[in-house]
Amino acid sequence: MTFLHPLALVGLVAAAIPALLHLLERRVPPEAEFPPLRYLSEAERQSARRLKLRHLLLLILRTLLIVLIVLAAARPLVPARTGGATVHAPTALALILDNSASSGVVVDGRPVLDRLRAVARGSLARTAAGDRVWLILADGVARGGVRERLLATVDSAAVSPRRLDLSAAVQQAARLVDAEPLPAREVHVVSDLQRTALGAGRADVPRGVRVLALAPPPQPPANRGIGTARVTDGAVTVGVVGTPGAAAAAVTVRVRGREVGRALAAPGAAVSIALPPLAPGWWVGEATLDPDELRADDRRVFAWRVAPPARVTAPQDAGPFVAAALAVLAEGGKVGIAGAGGAGGARGPDVSIGERPDGRGGARTNVVIPPVDAALVGQVNRALAAGGGPWRFGGPGTPGPIAASSVAGIDGIQVTRRYRLEGGEDSTVVARVNGEPWLVRDPGEGRVLLLGSRLDTAWTALPAAPAFVPFVDALVNRLARGEAPVAEAEGAPRVEFRTRGTDTVGATVYGIDARESELAAAPPALVRRLLGAEVLEDPAFAAARFAGTGRADGSWLLLALALVVAVVELGVATLTR
Amino acid sequence: MTDVQRVDLLDPAEVARLGGIEIVAQGVVEGFLAGIHRSPFRGFSVEFTEHRAYQPGDEPRYLDWKMLARSDRLFVKQFEEETNLRAMILVDASRSMAWRGAPARLTKRAYGDRLAAALALILLRQRDATGLITFDEAVREVVPARVKSGQWARLVRGLVRTPDGRGTAAQAALVRLTALLARRGLVVLVSDLLFDRDLALTALRYLRHRGHQVIVVHLMDPAEAELSGPPEVRFRDPESAASVVVRPRELARVYGETVRREIAAWRTACRRHGIAYHHVLTDMPFGMALRLLA
Repeated sequence: MTFLHPLALVGLVAAAIPALLHLLERRVPPEAEFPPLRYLSEAERQSARRLKLRHLLLLILRTLLIVLIVLAAARPLVPARTGGATVHAPTALALILDNSASSGVVVDGRPVLDRLRAVARGSLARTAAGDRVWLILADGVARGGVRERLLATVDSAAVSPRRLDLSAAVQQAARLVDAEPLPAREVHVVSDLQRTALGAGRADVPRGVRVLALAPPPQPPANRGIGTARVTDGAVTVGVVGTPGAAAAAVTVRVRGREVGRALAAPGAAVSIALPPLAPGWWVGEATLDPDELRADDRRVFAWRVAPPARVTAPQDAGPFVAAALAVLAEGGKVGIAGAGGAGGARGPDVSIGERPDGRGGARTNVVIPPVDAALVGQVNRALAAGGGPWRFGGPGTPGPIAASSVAGIDGIQVTRRYRLEGGEDSTVVARVNGEPWLVRDPGEGRVLLLGSRLDTAWTALPAAPAFVPFVDALVNRLARGEAPVAEAEGAPRVEFRTRGTDTVGATVYGIDARESELAAAPPALVRRLLGAEVLEDPAFAAARFAGTGRADGSWLLLALALVVAVVELGVATLTR
Repeated sequence: MTDVQRVDLLDPAEVARLGGIEIVAQGVVEGFLAGIHRSPFRGFSVEFTEHRAYQPGDEPRYLDWKMLARSDRLFVKQFEEETNLRAMILVDASRSMAWRGAPARLTKRAYGDRLAAALALILLRQRDATGLITFDEAVREVVPARVKSGQWARLVRGLVRTPDGRGTAAQAALVRLTALLARRGLVVLVSDLLFDRDLALTALRYLRHRGHQVIVVHLMDPAEAELSGPPEVRFRDPESAASVVVRPRELARVYGETVRREIAAWRTACRRHGIAYHHVLTDMPFGMALRLLA
């Protein structure tokens, strides 16, 4: 048996009061003369057994009365049937309120979060002073505190742009409650139970921790959302996510409020919408869908940088194909030729393409191709090493096709002659041939790109391919100069720019996790397996919480018993005189 | 209303405040005799000896109507054997008699003394030889039965002289009495009877056997009849110093039953042997007590 106020049990010492009074009272009775003592002695002799029994009975009844009253004051908790319990044993409770972006979906004209908040309030309202309570929201932070404060937090909880990993949250909650030395431990999962919110593995729930999960709405609405929006090569690629099989929806792209393109896409598909030529600088756009039941994923922002044309210098050893391509690009205004008029102007080159690093020209980036004369490879390697780069040319490599992930259009183009590139980290490889590095980028201060083949038809078919000019464009404008870093993070849709001095050096684009758009709920069996939770509908959830330790306040029973004992005591005290 | 003003019907404690034993007894007797129409105690003889003036309480049948016709005064006829009645009043003076349950009441001894004095006065007025024995654990005072003038004063002095004693042994006094009462007579025992009943009854039975008329006046304070007191108290016997701790409220019922049973036992035993038994509480007006004895 447990007690709500165990300190009151100290009062059990008072149970000794009747016996003490009995003993103390007998010590110093007043004395009086009474001549007919023989009658008195006779009466006492006749009543001795009855009086002894009466005294014993009264002592027992009075002691019992005090014990019952003290026990009632300690508020004992007795086992009660489910739902009938008015109080419960002190419980460690972690309440997970999943206010992630998906909780904003409107079902039957009401946001799911409203229902979740009401259930969460119900759980918190049932907590008592002896409980230890935490509240975990979509941000994953476990908030401990008193009931009123947590209720206020629940009331003020809005739809969060964050995704909640339910498996991790349940595991965290289970550990929290398991560490509490209380008779009962419960985790209440109040969530829409998205399938995508569950991790792959099972949450490690210690024995003795009871996990209750609120059953999700039976049929979530079909949903479409913008999962990704990234700008590459003058176009924005918009990935649409959501309920599989949902109808296609119109994707609208706007740049600085002006619509620049529109396309239809269904969940699982991606559309590429060309961006208009824009002046150099950082640009922010947004991709939107027509509003549906979940508004949080209907808009996603993106940012990109439009760089000014690179100024390129290409010595004659770069070959005629490079010179021709640069000429074409220069004519289109995409590059400037250093040392010549036009786009390059009189400034120094940004990029140098040649057989060795340009130590004199002051180019920021060197695109180094293998020398025609194999005997010069060692000299080039020494120059590369002097520049501090890890990469160097190795021995001849085997022919094979190009495999590149970040440079469009060159995949599969045959390489017939090449040097193996060695010494650098794998993460800096841009393209490979036969799995060996073919195009690498040294991220050091003296930025160097190393090509395993000369850009010549004798080495590779690339110069003869249509993708060659775009490749050179990408090489000098994007790869050589480094792409403006645009990071993606979870949060309310917005763009934050990173600056260094007066320069903007990068941007972080915030948006909700694409998995939040998939509203399908996890099957109860899966929830039971992964979270170890009982999945219960609203009424059953309300009845089951704290039911594992469901207790009724036994003080009324004890007080009633004390009343009966008091009546019996009164009867014995008066009727047995 | 008339009865209330009679001294013999007033509260004994109030009456006692009027004065000493003599005054109280005389007042009680006057009131008592005024309320009855014949003398309470009669002799056995029928031989006429002389006349005396009528006194209230004298039997009308003893009025000498001829004398009334001749002298227009009331006289009653005295008979030869009337003075043969010899009465002895035994008063218990033991320590237990000096107890009262409340300050507003008389002690049993004070009540008994006054009752005995009043009884003696009545007897002497009837010209019955009346004597007195006081006793506790031994005989303390003996006034032989006489009828001569001044006898009542001697009896009263005997009562006053007797101090409160210690224990009680009535049989000693009763044995002594048998020697003092050679002829048949009246024996009145005034006591709280807190002594061995069998021994006392043996002596009383012997007196009865000798032809004496025996009257037992069992005095009891009302507080002795019904037990009360603080929640717990140590009661001590003033005679034996024995004590017992009791809770009066617990024992009251059984005690009351015990007292009533004791009274009933005395009454039954006395009746069985032809002894008159009267239970008198010390708050009973003297007149009523005397009426019991008449």
